[in-house]
Amino acid sequence: MIPGFVQTLINFVQYAFFYMIFSLPLTLSYRTTKVINFVHANFITYGAYIAIFLNGIVGNTSMVFASLSAFLIVGSIAVLNNLLVFAPLQKRGSSPAMVMISSMGLWIAYKYILYMLTDIVHFYTYKNFVSYGRITYSDIPSLSIGEVNLSQAFVAGMFTVVVIVLILYLILEKTRMGRAIRAIADNAMLAEVSGIPRSLLINLTWFICGGIVAIGGVVWTSFSGAVTPEVGDSMILQVFTTGFIGGLVSLLRTGAGALLIAFMENIGIALLNAYLGIPVSFRPFLTFVTLITTLILFPPLGAGGGLPYRFLKRRSEKCSDST
Amino acid sequence: MFGFDIVGFMISWLTLFGIYSILAITLNVESGISGITNFGKVVFYGIGAYVSAMLTTYLILMLNGVNVSEIPPYNINGVILLGELGNKNPALNIGLFLLAIILSFIVAGAIGYLLTYPILRVGPEFVGFTLLSSGELTRIFLLHYEPVGASKGLMGIPNPFGWIPDSRIRQILYLMLVLGFLALTFITMKKLVNSPLGRTLKAVRDDETAALCMGKHVPKIKATVLFIGSGFSGIAGALLSYYFTSVNPNMFAPSVTFNAWAMIILGGFGNLVGSLLGAAIITLVDRALTFIIPLLGITVISPDYLRWLIVGLLLVIVLLVNPRGLLPEKPIETPASKEMKRETGEEGG
Amino acid sequence: MSTVLEVRDVAKYFGGIRALDGITLSVPEKGLIGLIGPNGSGKTTLFNVVTGFYVPDRGSVWFRDSGGTWRIDGLNPNEVFRKGIVRTFQTPRLFKSLTVLENLLLTPIGQKGEDITRVFYEKTWRDQELELARKAVKLLKTFNMLQYANLMASELSVAHMKMLETMRGLMTPATLYLLDEPAAGVDYPQARELFSYVKRLRNEQGLSFLIIEHRIEILMEFVDYVYVLHNGRLLCEGKPQEVVSDPRVIEAYIGV
Repeated sequence: MIPGFVQTLINFVQYAFFYMIFSLPLTLSYRTTKVINFVHANFITYGAYIAIFLNGIVGNTSMVFASLSAFLIVGSIAVLNNLLVFAPLQKRGSSPAMVMISSMGLWIAYKYILYMLTDIVHFYTYKNFVSYGRITYSDIPSLSIGEVNLSQAFVAGMFTVVVIVLILYLILEKTRMGRAIRAIADNAMLAEVSGIPRSLLINLTWFICGGIVAIGGVVWTSFSGAVTPEVGDSMILQVFTTGFIGGLVSLLRTGAGALLIAFMENIGIALLNAYLGIPVSFRPFLTFVTLITTLILFPPLGAGGGLPYRFLKRRSEKCSDST
Repeated sequence: MFGFDIVGFMISWLTLFGIYSILAITLNVESGISGITNFGKVVFYGIGAYVSAMLTTYLILMLNGVNVSEIPPYNINGVILLGELGNKNPALNIGLFLLAIILSFIVAGAIGYLLTYPILRVGPEFVGFTLLSSGELTRIFLLHYEPVGASKGLMGIPNPFGWIPDSRIRQILYLMLVLGFLALTFITMKKLVNSPLGRTLKAVRDDETAALCMGKHVPKIKATVLFIGSGFSGIAGALLSYYFTSVNPNMFAPSVTFNAWAMIILGGFGNLVGSLLGAAIITLVDRALTFIIPLLGITVISPDYLRWLIVGLLLVIVLLVNPRGLLPEKPIETPASKEMKRETGEEGG
Repeated sequence: MSTVLEVRDVAKYFGGIRALDGITLSVPEKGLIGLIGPNGSGKTTLFNVVTGFYVPDRGSVWFRDSGGTWRIDGLNPNEVFRKGIVRTFQTPRLFKSLTVLENLLLTPIGQKGEDITRVFYEKTWRDQELELARKAVKLLKTFNMLQYANLMASELSVAHMKMLETMRGLMTPATLYLLDEPAAGVDYPQARELFSYVKRLRNEQGLSFLIIEHRIEILMEFVDYVYVLHNGRLLCEGKPQEVVSDPRVIEAYIGV
């Protein structure tokens, strides 16, 4: 078999966990708010850096604490974005493309605020935060099953995914608020019937989505050997593609998409590398090809350009004189 | 200490302004007037830069009898040779420059044309994201592609005026060249917009399905616009490659596309002069901050970060406060429209 | 009298829904034909098939012009327009950022100024555009809308918007007009005025019309012949008075 296959398999599952944690909220947020939100990348990065700052400045080694902080802080940032920028723009009737552009502006702003923070913190602590090493947490175990070593990150990732999926399921299916959130996507009027104001539902969705992604960022710090402020950006292609596979509507399909992309980026590229010599760093191309294929064959709901133009050659006109 | 080289500052600002204006104007025609949200500007710009870089460096070496398979232009010896040979023959420099510009236009334009078709079926936000990613992918590809120097890129690209010994004169001449291309782009786009075709473009933007129903071949129209717009963007990229005398994969940063969008939003959607204004303001802010921030003695944080933060926030603020931008969209002016305004103005109501 | 439009056994299915289930109808030259039916009966779907939005799953559509008879199902909407068929929408789809005059100047076919190879040489299209502009102005005068020439299309009243939609077609040699609920959103006198214009166009210029309309009172006064759709099928057809008193038609409308 291919050397290191077991490790590749573990990586595949690990990445699947991450992509699920990062993209399920993306699908949920788009479905409810209809915003293509580039700040999503910052959610990941900020989640990771909250853990990093806690670790580097105050020596925190509790992933639970870091996760909680990340959830609260980033969730609030998400809500703030909506209150200050997205909601006003949408109320004014701006096109979705404009809202997306505003999210790009925010994305840039947040990214460089973080860079500036790393500089400031570096000034006071003399530690380098622009590239931070792997954090070993004290409250997450690592497992050994036979010869297979499952790292802390794996365990945390698995645990997080299970918990998140469970909680999302419970909230969205079983609670009135969750059902109302689901309703907004399908039928805004139906959501009003629940009695909960629409703006509250939307802000709540942002809070949850931002928070979950941030927790994923925290888990990432136990996985990656070098975390930089570009970490969210480096994954944005994969995360959005996964979301698009789910049509930005179906959580189930998004989950499947996460598996697909994780598969291609780990096992797929390994195969291509071993048999065709394609460099491993070309993995984004596989994802991009999937993205294009998905967009052409299965355009996400609401994504249809709607132009009723067909390129396929139809029957040539026959000029016959009837009548 | 305040040896502030104002002339040097102006030259560098205006050259950058000229190059970026081309991007802003073409983006405005594509997105502001025709409604094709183009988030892949950087791809065409970068392609133009690389095409011209490759053409010039390889040809200069080959025409001087150098065996490029042994000493390619990205090799350190190749760079040295480029430095020696590059500025010997003025006619060669200028000739290659013109050839490169034409080729950059064609290649970038062709890619723009091809890109229209897959994105026709899907809404603008998704198109936007895909195009944004394609920039990143091009970067990764070029990072590994040997013939263009991989991660180091190509250096020592001979400037068309490289044979002029005085560097200031060289800069000023180059600035004139850039502004000349800017004028060409501006006039071309202005003519395009102030014509029946311009009318059709606005119609496509307003309601592309209705335009289709009125007999307009919407896909072909969009492809044409992207061809021209991308072609000129390619020229902008080529101009940049000569200005910095080097290219590398990091040119494909999303910030280029982002800047262009900021410029047209700030300056005014649908107003070509507004794009110039937006480009002037943003490049000025960029250059000014680069000079000023170190003077303010902020050593804790890198000045680059502040610049980007300001641009990002500026974009959001402009969108919130005045999404139309500084200058409003102008109505289309064709000879017929002017005459009709006169006639109907007199006879009407 | 020859037939301008012929729809032969056209069917269109969306998943399990039979939007059109075998429709055959025809519009004679200089015909003013009505198409009625309760909501969801397939009227707009039929328009969409004829104008190229949808490809029919079965059947064919034929259009006759001075050059002969052509099969048009499956053509793209822009090709259908160029053949000479104009279609309006229930909610007028004008181009909001263009003026009334510019909206009219948009439709003429074969404008040299739209050709990318000529657009930069103003001399090649200047005269043609001026000529078209004069034609548009004359048209506006005929419809008493000259004072709106330089207004933004979005500033017009609904009734005028609907007229503008039809007028756009008049700038071309189109011979068949498919009007989708022209009287929707306007009051009774305005609706009658719209329909009188339509009748005038038919009488004076020999154009043919197929009109979807809900306000049967108005329609019946102007059309020569009516087709009634119900659940994607042709329920009945005939002269207005016959159709209106047909018990099946009454039941279809009340039953819904």
